[in-house]
Amino acid sequence: MASGLNVSDLHVTTGDSGEILKGIDLKVERGRIHALMGPNGSGKSTLAFALAGHPSYQIVRGNATLDGEELLALSPDKRAKLGLFLSFQYPAAIPGVTVANFLRTARTAVRGSDLTPAQFRTLVFEQLDHLGIDTSFLGRYVNDGFSGGEKKRLEMLQLAILAPKYAILDETDSGLDVDALGAVGESLTTLRSGAGKDTGFLIITHYPRILQYLEPDVVHVMMDGRIVKTGDAELAHRIESEGYDNIRDEVAASGAA
Amino acid sequence: MAQLSVVPSRAGRDEALALARTLPPPGPVPGRYWKIDLTKLALEEVEPGSVTSRFALSDEAKRKGVIATDLGSASREHEAVITATEGNAVDWRSGRFTALNAARRENGAFIFLPKGVVIEEPIVVTQRLEGPAAFPYVLVAASEGSRATIITRYEAAPDLELVSEIVEIVALEHASITYSAVQDLPANVRVFWSRRGNVGRDAELNWALAELGAGVSIGDVKSTTLEAGARTTIAGLFFPNKGQHVDLQSEADHPAGKTQSETIFKSAAIDGGQARFIGNIRIRPSAHGVDATLRDDALLLSKDSHIDSIPALEIGANDVKAFHGATIGAIDDEELFYAMSRGIDRHEAERMIALGFFEPALVRFPTERLREELRGALAGKIA
Repeated sequence: MASGLNVSDLHVTTGDSGEILKGIDLKVERGRIHALMGPNGSGKSTLAFALAGHPSYQIVRGNATLDGEELLALSPDKRAKLGLFLSFQYPAAIPGVTVANFLRTARTAVRGSDLTPAQFRTLVFEQLDHLGIDTSFLGRYVNDGFSGGEKKRLEMLQLAILAPKYAILDETDSGLDVDALGAVGESLTTLRSGAGKDTGFLIITHYPRILQYLEPDVVHVMMDGRIVKTGDAELAHRIESEGYDNIRDEVAASGAA
Repeated sequence: MAQLSVVPSRAGRDEALALARTLPPPGPVPGRYWKIDLTKLALEEVEPGSVTSRFALSDEAKRKGVIATDLGSASREHEAVITATEGNAVDWRSGRFTALNAARRENGAFIFLPKGVVIEEPIVVTQRLEGPAAFPYVLVAASEGSRATIITRYEAAPDLELVSEIVEIVALEHASITYSAVQDLPANVRVFWSRRGNVGRDAELNWALAELGAGVSIGDVKSTTLEAGARTTIAGLFFPNKGQHVDLQSEADHPAGKTQSETIFKSAAIDGGQARFIGNIRIRPSAHGVDATLRDDALLLSKDSHIDSIPALEIGANDVKAFHGATIGAIDDEELFYAMSRGIDRHEAERMIALGFFEPALVRFPTERLREELRGALAGKIA
């Protein structure tokens, strides 16, 4: 059985807007960090939503498997149970549902009752500490009235609590100030040295700021619904200094279609 | 206001019944959604059962002179207070079922808070309702500067079919009353209630009302802020499911300036449940400096369920703050997807989101135990 998060020839559309993904091939392995970079509108977030099972995204063709299990026919909760996690760029607020309740419900859904209430509490408090979050956070309603930084911290907290096999981080670094980025970056570093050491990451980012915390093993560049270039960390550094224009020109010159 | 002895005379009963028969039935006109036709209910054939009230009163409250007893025995000892209070907030002539209550009631519950008495432990009133028809009547007289929380519950005998209730609260200067009522009667019961309170200078009246049971439940709640500094909150929740019809009206009536009200209703309907809610804010001419808000949100959890939500603002003064906001709709797709992406299955996610939706009204209920009970009952409707 093929291990890894495997995407092959994935074509995705949303209703009336035509094909956004035009054949994506990608393989993320456990414990590895892949960065998916590209200009705005290149289809990065669409890939994230399509893999997580958002109902607005229709699969035209292609497939995706998680450690050999077909993903695309499954409802979003079943994908999460297989070990997939999406950190949202714009997480939804769920008024009236406390962070504590949400975390416990999610953990139980994904892992069953593997922890006693006391163990669960210890885990949550450890992670709050890593993320520099006050415990009063637990009594607040999920993302309701949260600042941008608080939302991203809650995504990281969930990532740490669920410790998925594969995590897609959609623009986790966007909209964060330097301090918030630092906290999120350090939490990822901590996660990588602990519960998340076997997690395979697909880190979607427009700017490579977050990559100073997580050195990618592989960097993919996406443009117009396709992955046009794959390289190592050096590619990210190149984008940081040059932007996307040079790569766009190279791709055009090589006649990639 | 029309006065009627709390336990009416024969002649008073006849007059009340005669009036009741001339008044139109409350609730929506029967139609596509509302399947209940009350015109077929012959009032003269409604057979009274009985109401027996039990009171849980802390030693502290007893020591401080709080009276919580049934009206039958109270009417002798506390006649002056009762006479002064009864009919203040509710005019029994105002509707078909208030008049019926006046015609048929035998007893009721009476709570009296002496001047300046503040008690922390809630007073729990359990009304045992014997059928076929029960006519509870609750009278709360809060003297100047008193403060208490009252939790009322029904207990239905198996033969119960109809309930017509009146609740009347008078909060004098600087008094503060929180009154919570949870209606969880069996599905065959029809319940009609009228709950009203008068709020004096710098006094406060907080309603927390839940309609969970009964096949038909029609109620109106009203707070009247009589003098400057009076504040009221009217918080309610209802959740009709299969076979249930709910029709509620709330009114924050501001005859006096510099008074405040906050009305918040959260409702859901599922499995063919039907409801209507009419939320009123009434600011009388010259009631300047009123601050009134009305928030009313409805959640439809199945296509065959229906909620009509009608905010109504009648504003007669210029220098006021009045706000109303209403929403109606299904569970938000993005919220649902977010929860499901965390491994939570659709059904559990919907239940969690719906329960959260009720929370702003739920938190107005006075004890955590009661709130937990309500959460359990609400969750049970999303089977």
